[in-house]
Amino acid sequence: MSPSDEELVAAFQAGDVAAFDTLVGRWDRKIRGVIFRLVGSHEEARDVSQETFLKAYRALGTFKKEARFSSWLYQIAVNATRDRLRRRRRRTDLSLEDVDESAESALRDASPSAFELMESGDLSRLVAAAMAALPEEQREVVILKEYQGLTFPEIADALDVPLSTVKTRLYRGLGQLRVRLERQGVRGAAAVAVPSA
Amino acid sequence: MDCEAFREDMLDVLYGEGGEAAARRVETHQTTCADCRREMAQLRKLRGDLAHWGLPEGLIAAPARGHERRPWALAAAAGMVLALGASLALSGAEVRYDPSGFSVRLGRGTGETRALLDAQERRHQEEIDALRAQLAAARPTDQDALMRAVADMIRESETRHDAAIQASLRDLRQRSDAQRQYDLARVSAGLAYLDGKAGLQAARTTELMGHLLQASQQK
Repeated sequence: MSPSDEELVAAFQAGDVAAFDTLVGRWDRKIRGVIFRLVGSHEEARDVSQETFLKAYRALGTFKKEARFSSWLYQIAVNATRDRLRRRRRRTDLSLEDVDESAESALRDASPSAFELMESGDLSRLVAAAMAALPEEQREVVILKEYQGLTFPEIADALDVPLSTVKTRLYRGLGQLRVRLERQGVRGAAAVAVPSA
Repeated sequence: MDCEAFREDMLDVLYGEGGEAAARRVETHQTTCADCRREMAQLRKLRGDLAHWGLPEGLIAAPARGHERRPWALAAAAGMVLALGASLALSGAEVRYDPSGFSVRLGRGTGETRALLDAQERRHQEEIDALRAQLAAARPTDQDALMRAVADMIRESETRHDAAIQASLRDLRQRSDAQRQYDLARVSAGLAYLDGKAGLQAARTTELMGHLLQASQQK
């Protein structure tokens, strides 16, 4: 039977450095996945993921035993992602001043239309675009719930917010996603047959 | 009906949390609330759509096993050292990752390292200064050229507008002259007609008066 995360943390704190490798092997995929969904870039996901594990490595010595390792790790990952997105926004604000109208129009033309995406059956890209348009707080909760499968209390721990806030953000986020996908012509929410009472 | 009170229960049921009690509450509420029934169905469908968003291939490498995990740590450490190298180097810190783990040493190292870092800093500073100087020299020239080009374009535009206005005025003047001449001709013709008509009438009156005078003399 493999040791639990908390047992591995205790082993690391007792001097077993290899225990950290086991934790990394266990969590790397999930952490990189959630970061990718939040930042939308392969390269940045790799960078932020490494940053997350480096921070975890540095702080693991002071990790409190009563906390849950996964929530703690997700918290580090979400914070690192927020920092990265903040830096990216600052860069975008600066660089946008240099973008002229023709360049913007070229960018618009380069993006496939919703119709084209639907035609090609690429619902994945439509969902990704709708997700990217969500406010950051809602996007975090939806991704942690929908794609990481965290429970509501785990998300509340990871984001350090009350349980009710998690549910409110999730409900609003799902609502916005539904509206956006409907507008894109995704035959989802609006066309659902309502079961009779 | 206070549907909001059931919202948290609905989310619990949607994601399989909350247990039987929440499921019963939601079921009872939905028996009488078509809106919530519809919303639950829509959310379930939405979750089906969201599931299509997969991760790109190659994002996640297969997890290493056993001793193969050790290279991850070395690779991660190498990546971190590269990423943080510049800032840490400037602050004089040193990061190492070896089989004994990470070690971070703050402050300057040996005199040689320090001299090397100082030289690197100076070189970077000189490069930055040179770039700034180039930028400062290039900007006014570019701006002057731009302003000249804009001024030329404005002048050309004004000239074109002037020529167009002059042409319009000429055309208008010609049309106006032609119209005036035509009107004058019509007035003249009208007057001549009236003159002729009045002359004929006068002749007839004179003739009539002659007849009357002749008739009165015969009596």
